Amino acid sequence: MSDIWVFIENKNGEMSAASQEAIYAGRKIADEMDRELVALVFGENVSGVADTAFDLGADAVLAADDPTLANFRVEAFGPLVVKLAQERNPAVILMGGSTRGHDLAAWVAADLDAGVVPDAIDVKAVDGTVRVTRPVYAGKLLADVHVTEGTQIITLRSRAFPKAISKGASGTPEMVDAIVAEADIPTKIVSFESTEGTVSLTDASIIVSGGRGVGGPEGFAPVQALADVLGAALGASRAAVDAGWIPYEHQVGQTGKTVSPDLYIACGISGAIQHQAGMRTSKVIVAINKDPDAPIFKLARYGIVGDLFKVCPALTAEFQERIGG
Amino acid sequence: MKVVVCIKQTPSTTAVLTVDDNGHVSWDDPGGKPNILNPWDEYSVEEGVRLKENHGASDVIALTVGPAESKDALKTCLAMGCTQAELVTDPAFEGSDTVGTARILAAAIQNIGDVDIALFGKQAIDGDTGLTPVQTARKLGWTPLTFVSAIKEIGDGKITVERLVDDGKETVTASLPVVINVVKEINEPRYPSLMGIRKANRANIPELGAADLSVDGGVGSAASKVDWSKIYAIPPREGSCEIIEADSVEEQARILADKLFEEKVI
Repeated sequence: MSDIWVFIENKNGEMSAASQEAIYAGRKIADEMDRELVALVFGENVSGVADTAFDLGADAVLAADDPTLANFRVEAFGPLVVKLAQERNPAVILMGGSTRGHDLAAWVAADLDAGVVPDAIDVKAVDGTVRVTRPVYAGKLLADVHVTEGTQIITLRSRAFPKAISKGASGTPEMVDAIVAEADIPTKIVSFESTEGTVSLTDASIIVSGGRGVGGPEGFAPVQALADVLGAALGASRAAVDAGWIPYEHQVGQTGKTVSPDLYIACGISGAIQHQAGMRTSKVIVAINKDPDAPIFKLARYGIVGDLFKVCPALTAEFQERIGG
Repeated sequence: MKVVVCIKQTPSTTAVLTVDDNGHVSWDDPGGKPNILNPWDEYSVEEGVRLKENHGASDVIALTVGPAESKDALKTCLAMGCTQAELVTDPAFEGSDTVGTARILAAAIQNIGDVDIALFGKQAIDGDTGLTPVQTARKLGWTPLTFVSAIKEIGDGKITVERLVDDGKETVTASLPVVINVVKEINEPRYPSLMGIRKANRANIPELGAADLSVDGGVGSAASKVDWSKIYAIPPREGSCEIIEADSVEEQARILADKLFEEKVI
């Protein structure tokens, strides 16, 4: 048992935001446990991302450069991580908060018969194991969880950790071979339609959400305008989605998206426990609501008791003046 | 074609949870049902029933591992249109971690036999791990297809699905059998019909235990490699809400903007 491993996602030659957060968390654990931080960089033409991994604080990089790894497929990546882990016995394998990291964590844990804890919002080394704090029961409760024996596999909640910053370091990766031939990878990617460029709720640093108080589909216009001037993603409560005012993809809450932006502005949202479950880890919450007794004010740092149809346009005008556009 | 839908019974979304000093969680839902079919599983059950209606699946079997009262959630699945249901329950299975649960599910799916597709919801709203689908696929040796938002085509032993991944929509093809977990975008779950509910209430749901299954590897709390014992209530957010008051809404907006720039969140 020795090193702390962190799985790095390569997106068109650049390291994903989730992986930069994973390096931050990995570096923290490695320092607390006095271990080496090893970055796993798999893909095609990975040298740029490997350089970034060193620059952000990895002590070593294990790199695999192969056409079968060009796009993430868990059947190609999983066996390679499993084989390397069996040979080298890492103490911890960390993955960022992404669909790919999540699939890989599940695969590797199943094959190594290892303990796995997903969706960490905090990690801390305690007596040689990593204590993971994570939300459970749809964000209504918290748990401090740890793996009791063997390699500890952990995924992080997206945006719960800051991104690692440049340390100006460099190094030479150790190259390893891909181990699954194309013919043995069962899934074939037929097409990929990128949603890059659109502001996704889970990646957004600012979210402006509307709820029952917007009153109808057209009521989202001032909420959207405020989101636009802030470069924010547009969220919604379940009440607004169920009423058919806005598509499900905007829903924040227990049965919608779980988000942790720097700023969450809730407009006309009462703050039912199911909604809170999806947004309570936001750093700063602002509530705009006509009802001074709405539960959202208990969660918010700043509140304006008032009509969102007056407050949102005033805020939009104010931010327009300050940050331009 | 035979389809299994792996479901879980969870506390209702409106349940009030309490946790004692030993990390034991209990819940009640005054005015409602305290336990429900995991909301994410409504989508996988619906998709299973649609495979029967649109792709000629002969069997759509709802399967759960859990205590006897989980039969209620299985009845919901039957009422929605699943053709059979099966409860796997045994004290020896209690306290399993996700890998242990995957072993039990894999054994139960193998016991059913000739299954082409095992469907799961994205995650359960209690443990919230979402790990079991891929891990069950590993224990079965089947291909996992995760975050599936559409089943596009099934035929000639192959399946084509659309997946919602972090940065886009990916369409992939794989050979059956597969394990699929679905996201909410895949469908709009139906409400159980009155006749479906009546039929489900009369249904005899078979129970299987450890002795009925060939579970390969460790299960139960003794084999669990994850310690979940420290569960606690979320500490209240520090400080109370600062209500911004002023003579005009423009003035309120100006004060709030100042605060948010000070917080460095803009």
